[in-house]
Amino acid sequence: MGRRFEFGYILEFIPKLLDYLQITLLIVAASIALGLIVGLIVALPRMYHIPVLKRISAVYVSFFRGTPVLIQLFLIYYGLPELLKGLSIDASKVPVLAFVILTYGLHSGAFISEAIRAAVGAVDRGQVEAAYAIGMSGFEAFTRIVLPQAAAVSLPVFANLVIANLKDTSLAFTLGVMEMTGKSQTLGMTTQHFIEVYIALSLIYFVVSMILERLFLLAERRMLKYQPELAGHTSKKRLLQGLFLPQFKKGGEQA
Amino acid sequence: MKIDPVFIWTAFVKLLSALPMTLFITAISVGAGLVIGSIIALLRIYKVPVLQHLAAFYVTFIRGTPMLMHLFLVYFGLPALIDAVSGAFGWTFKSSSVPILVFVLIAFSITAGAYLAEVIRSGILAIDKGQLEAAYAIGMKTPQALWRIVFPQAFAVSLPNLSNSLIGMLHGSTLAFTVTAVEIFAEANIVATTNWKYFESFIAAALLYWGITLLIEKAVAVLEKRINVYNRGGVA
Amino acid sequence: MIKLSGIRKTFGKQEVLKGIDLIVEQGDVVAILGPSGSGKTTLLRCINYLERPNEGEVAINQLKVNVKRASKQDIHTLRKKTAMVFQNYNLFKHKTALENVMEGLVIVQKLPKRQARELAVQALEKVGLGGKLDEYPSRLSGGQQQRVGIARALALNPEVILFDEPTSALDPELVGEVLAVIRKIAGEGITMIIVTHEMAFARDVASHVVFMDGGVVVEEGPPHQLFGTPKEERTRQFLKRSIQEWSYSI
Repeated sequence: MGRRFEFGYILEFIPKLLDYLQITLLIVAASIALGLIVGLIVALPRMYHIPVLKRISAVYVSFFRGTPVLIQLFLIYYGLPELLKGLSIDASKVPVLAFVILTYGLHSGAFISEAIRAAVGAVDRGQVEAAYAIGMSGFEAFTRIVLPQAAAVSLPVFANLVIANLKDTSLAFTLGVMEMTGKSQTLGMTTQHFIEVYIALSLIYFVVSMILERLFLLAERRMLKYQPELAGHTSKKRLLQGLFLPQFKKGGEQA
Repeated sequence: MKIDPVFIWTAFVKLLSALPMTLFITAISVGAGLVIGSIIALLRIYKVPVLQHLAAFYVTFIRGTPMLMHLFLVYFGLPALIDAVSGAFGWTFKSSSVPILVFVLIAFSITAGAYLAEVIRSGILAIDKGQLEAAYAIGMKTPQALWRIVFPQAFAVSLPNLSNSLIGMLHGSTLAFTVTAVEIFAEANIVATTNWKYFESFIAAALLYWGITLLIEKAVAVLEKRINVYNRGGVA
Repeated sequence: MIKLSGIRKTFGKQEVLKGIDLIVEQGDVVAILGPSGSGKTTLLRCINYLERPNEGEVAINQLKVNVKRASKQDIHTLRKKTAMVFQNYNLFKHKTALENVMEGLVIVQKLPKRQARELAVQALEKVGLGGKLDEYPSRLSGGQQQRVGIARALALNPEVILFDEPTSALDPELVGEVLAVIRKIAGEGITMIIVTHEMAFARDVASHVVFMDGGVVVEEGPPHQLFGTPKEERTRQFLKRSIQEWSYSI
C-alpha cells in the first residue's frame, strides 16, 4: 500500500492542493449563499404559520436533516437529470459543480432555516411590540429590529454551519469534482504517497476551519457589542454547540 | 428514462440486507466514541497536566477536519504503521490480514470520540457544582459522586446532543463506501449501477436513512421525557 | 381627546374586558388602578392595538378605529398617534440610548437624521440622560433604561403616551427617579394614561383616576374624590388593602 513515508512530500503537496482551495471555497460560498435564500424561504411559512406551506417546509427540513449529505449528493446528481428528462429537459450539459452547489445549498438551507427560526424565536416579543408601539410596520419591525438581533444571536450556529459545509465539500470528489480532496486523490494515485497527501490535506482543512472560526468570533464580538457579556456567553456556548454539530448535524433548535 | 416507482420498493428491500452493517458501524463507533469521549472530557475537566492539552488538540483537530480525512488517514496510515512496527520486531503479522472494516471502525471511533468528548464535557459542566459538593458531604468518593450523581444528570442534559451525534455518525457511516465497505449507501450504489436506476436506488436509500433518523429522534424524545421526570418542577 | 367605547376583549374563554368606556381629555393625566388581573394592562394595550379588542371603538381626535372595520392602515395611524412605555422597558437591545430614541423619528416619522438626533438628544436630556447617549441598554440600570423608554415615547411627540406599569419591574430604590421624570413631563401638559400600582404617585400626579376590577370600570373621578371619598365598596376595599401595603413598606 503505497511507498515509504517521506515527510518532504507533505510540504510538496500543500501548495499543489492549495491551488484547488479556491474551488472548495467557491462551493462553500455559493452553497451558503443559496442556503441563506432557501433557509429564509423555508423558515417563513413556519414562523408565520401559513397552512400547508408550513407542512411542506417541515418535511423539507426533516428530509435534508434526516438523510446523509452523500446520498443527497448522489440523488441530485444522478436523480435530478432523470427526473428532468421525464419533463423533457436536458440536464446532461450542466456541469457537476452546479449539482454540487445545489445539493449543499439545499442541504444547508434546511439547517439555516432551523437556525433562523430558533434565532427569531429567541428575540423577545417585547422588541416587536415596542417597534409597533412607535409606529413601525411589520416589515420595518422585522428588518430593523428582529433580524439584526436574530443575526447576532445565530452567528455561532451559522459559523458552525459554514465550517461543517467546508468539511462536507470534501465529499464532492465522489462525483469527480476537482476540488482539494479530488486533487488529493489524483496526487495520491500518481505518487503513491497517500498518507502524506492526506496529512497535507487535513492540515489545510484544519487551518481554514480555524481561520473561519476566528473570523466568525470577531464578527460575533462586533455584532454583539451591544451586549458584550452575551458575546462571552455565546462563544462559550459555541464550543458546546460545535460538538453536537459534527459535519453531519449542524445545530438547530437546540441552539 | 422514466422513473419506475415500483423499483424504489425493490431497491429498498435489497438495501435492507446492508442495514445491519450500517447499524453495526454506527453502534460500534458511537460506543467506542463514548468511552474515548468520556476519558477526553475528564482529562480536560480535571485539567490533567499535559494530557489536557493533548486532549484539547485532539478535539480541535478532529472537529476542524472532515470525517473523510480521518478515514483516509487511518485507512492508509495505520497499515503502514502496523507493517513498520511488525517489520521492526521481526513479526510475521501483516496489515493485509486485518479486515478493512476494522480500520473503518477505528477511524469512526476517533471521529465520534472528539465530538462526544465535547458533548460529555458540556453535559458535566452544566451540572451545578453544589451537586458534587453535596455528594462529597454525604461521604462519597469522587468516582462514586461522578458515577452516581453527576453522570446521570449530565446524561439527561446532553441527550439532545447525544442524539445528534448518533445521527451524525449514522449519516457519516456512508463514507465507509469510499474504502469499499458495503453498507447501505455502497449497496445503493451497486443497485443503482447494475440496474441503471439511480434515482430510484438513492431515493430508497434516502428513505431508509430518513426512517432510521426519525426513529432515533422519536426514541430519544421518549427517553428524554422519562429521564427528565425529576426536572419537571411544579407539584403535580 | 381620546374616547374608548364598548371595549371588549376575551382570551380564550375568559372575558378580560367587559365593555369599557373611557374619555380622556387633552392634557389629562389618567391613572388606571386596580388589582392584578383586573384588565387594566389589557385595556391600555387595546388602545394601540397591541391587543386587538373583540369589540369596541378607539377614537383619538378625528381618527376613529372600530374593531369591525379596523384596517392595517388604521392601526398604523393609531400607533403613530400614540406612544407606549413598557413595564419591561423593551428598549431595542442592539441600539444605543440615542439610536433607540431616534429610531421612530427616522424610520416612522421620516425626519432627516440631523433633526432626529437633535430631538432625541433633547428628549434624553429631559429625562436626565444627556450623558448616556451612546450607551447600550445592557449597560444601563433599570431606572435609566426606563427613562430612555420614556424619552423614546416623548420624542415622537404623540397625542398620548401610554404607560404600562412603568415602575413595577424596577428595584425599589430606582422607582423614584422614574416617577420623578413622569411627574416632570406630566407638568408639561402631555396627555398620559398610566397603569400603575403607585398609589401616592397616582394621587399626586393624576388629574383623573380610574379604578378597574374584574374587567369593568368600577369608579372614576378626580383623585381627591376617589382617594378621599370613594363611592363603591370595592374601591374602598382595594384602597384599604393597598394603603396598608405601602404603610408596611415604610
